[in-house]
Amino acid sequence: MDFKPSPERQILFDTLKKYFENEYSLSDRNIAAHSDLGYSKKAWEAMRDLGILESLIDPELDGFGGTALDISTVFEALGRGLVVEPFLEVGILAAKVLSKGNEAQKSLVKKILENECLPILAHSEADTEYSKSFVETKLSVEAGGSYKISGTKRMIKHASEATHFLVTCRNTGDAFSKEGISIACIPTDREGIKINSFATIDGGRVSDLTFTNVSISSEELVGELGMSYSIVSHAIDTGILAICSEALGIMERIKELTLEYLKTRKQFGVPIGKFQAIQHRMAQLLVEIEQARSSVINATIYFDDETEREKTISAAKFSIGKIGTLVAEESIQLHGGMGMTWEYDLGHYAKRLVLIDHEFGDEDFHLQKYISL
Amino acid sequence: MNLNFTKEQENFQIEVRSFLNDNLEPQVVEKVKNGIPITKEDSERWHQKLNEKGWLAGTWPKQYGGQEWDVVEKFIFEEECGSAGAPRIVPFGVGMLAPVLMKFGSQEQRDYWLPRMLTGEDWWCQGYSEPGSGSDLASLKTSAVRDGDYYIVNGQKTWTTFAQHANMIFCLVRTSNEGKPQEGISFILIDMNSPGIEVRPIITLDGSHEVNEIFFSDVKVPVKNLVGEENKGWTYAKYLLTHERTGNANVAVSKRKIQKLKKLADDAKKNEQPLSYDPMFASRLAQIEIDLQNLEITNLRTLASVENGEAPGAESSIIKILGSEIEQDIDNLTRKSLGKRAFVNEPDALSTGYNGAEVFPKAAAYASGKYFNHRKKSIYAGSNEIQKNIISKLMLNL
Repeated sequence: MDFKPSPERQILFDTLKKYFENEYSLSDRNIAAHSDLGYSKKAWEAMRDLGILESLIDPELDGFGGTALDISTVFEALGRGLVVEPFLEVGILAAKVLSKGNEAQKSLVKKILENECLPILAHSEADTEYSKSFVETKLSVEAGGSYKISGTKRMIKHASEATHFLVTCRNTGDAFSKEGISIACIPTDREGIKINSFATIDGGRVSDLTFTNVSISSEELVGELGMSYSIVSHAIDTGILAICSEALGIMERIKELTLEYLKTRKQFGVPIGKFQAIQHRMAQLLVEIEQARSSVINATIYFDDETEREKTISAAKFSIGKIGTLVAEESIQLHGGMGMTWEYDLGHYAKRLVLIDHEFGDEDFHLQKYISL
Repeated sequence: MNLNFTKEQENFQIEVRSFLNDNLEPQVVEKVKNGIPITKEDSERWHQKLNEKGWLAGTWPKQYGGQEWDVVEKFIFEEECGSAGAPRIVPFGVGMLAPVLMKFGSQEQRDYWLPRMLTGEDWWCQGYSEPGSGSDLASLKTSAVRDGDYYIVNGQKTWTTFAQHANMIFCLVRTSNEGKPQEGISFILIDMNSPGIEVRPIITLDGSHEVNEIFFSDVKVPVKNLVGEENKGWTYAKYLLTHERTGNANVAVSKRKIQKLKKLADDAKKNEQPLSYDPMFASRLAQIEIDLQNLEITNLRTLASVENGEAPGAESSIIKILGSEIEQDIDNLTRKSLGKRAFVNEPDALSTGYNGAEVFPKAAAYASGKYFNHRKKSIYAGSNEIQKNIISKLMLNL
């Protein structure tokens, strides 16, 4: 038994960690994250040069990674750095979907690596509906074998600069049916697309996208007509593994920041970490974070096991949701007023950690899913 | 990352499983699975079977009759025993005193006491806690005053598990009042049949008799029963406690208990449906299952770090907190799942030879009793608050 990452992955993690510590300043990150674009193009390009995207993508598509362990290792490092650039949206969600497409679509993955395109998956529709199969956007078949799609996609992150949308839509079945889901890969300047974008609490922009009778050719479908649920499902499961790992990196960083504060902040003449009331809260956080890490390891181990994947992914997302919120709230409390300030790093980590619970299903959703599986 | 057992470890697992299958007595397994106490004789018969196989003290060195199991082999053995419903090996001799004697005892003490632990000639108990010294163990007052070839021991020990069965006790006693409290403690071995010893039962809130208080009045103990050096007992005691706290994850036992709880919930009704369909119940159960699944990995991570030569340190405190709390959560939900039937307390209904009214479901006979009895788990072996102190000091450096 050995839980250590391979030497190659450890080197990758250490390199990224060091890079973020030295080159990715949180104050610059916060300015970019809350700008109109929602991230820094300069930082995006600098990080691409490090090979982060390649490490998320299979060798057959010109990457050098892409396994569950690669993804988990990289996203833990991205979490430590509180990186806001679109690695999840482009490197995981879009790339996983496109890798199941035709040759032209697969070549878009290679173009991602060459910085020639920025495809974004446009899937989620209702704010409180986390089901992976929930799609109401309509796909209608036109004379001559072409299609039109109409509907609204909500809370699509980093959509405003996208070159392509990967739009899920259905031609049959009710809104929750796994049957009848298709994916269309279309350029974002296609007629009939409207974008409304919003600032976010944790950084990065989100958009609501409205599609009105947008024309699609049959070559633009990813996978077979009505048969693409499994592609979306797998991409989202990979996304869940990625953000659970990101949350681990955030929690480790929060632990460091909080411990440092407890050792330096003095009240009543002693560091506040000398008080047992504080020590026990911090010890409890450590115990919980170890359990969170175990849940992600478990999900990583079973990720390629078709029968166990969804159950262990839901167990991990539940654990991360529950523990993440606890860690965020407790660390702010332990920092007192300092935890409330914009200037100090902690609050920015805490915000991202809490909001991760709102992505791909929260703790309640995944607990119910775990029960149903 | 490689989470698989080696071929040798897998073979060992198969061997343990088949040994348990061939040697466990069904009526003892029945008691263990129902959570009721087993008798001294049940334990002694099981110890003897294990000793014949050489597995009573598997982690001991070969020269003393052990197998030199590493942490993973120990884990495999304990997990298989937990799943099968085997009685726990009574830990006081083989698991607790023996490591101290091997590390700090004289050759003569090792040669005399270790074989007797294996044959069952001695049943040991542990004399640590006192009425005024629980978590603050170093404040203990029971005194041992040197008088020629003897120590004269006076004082009181408490919470002594199975003292009613024991013929020997290892004790922390005060031999000096100089310096820090930790610096005047010695570790001695006392014959329970010595004149001046009185054992009184402490009945716990569930009505069971596991623990006792022991009174020492001018008890004569030969000086040769001192372990190591006088006034160095605190070091030995701490060494022993790190052994006490390993193996507290109890994952296999908790898994077995969850299976039993699921069965109960399938058979019980709420809103005219099986209780297992009740969303509140299902949610509580699923959260415990996920916590346990996470603990299983946390525990394996700790084992792997020990296997790879990294000291476990305070990780055993993490395991102790989680293992005890999860088991308490299961006992809690089991009690709740019984509804009104949880009032019943008829532990004897689970013993062979019981001829009172049948309790249905059978698990109700001692479910609430067990729930209350298991509140001890977050208190003993270093309360969970003490474990957090250890984590704060050793892992967080606060």
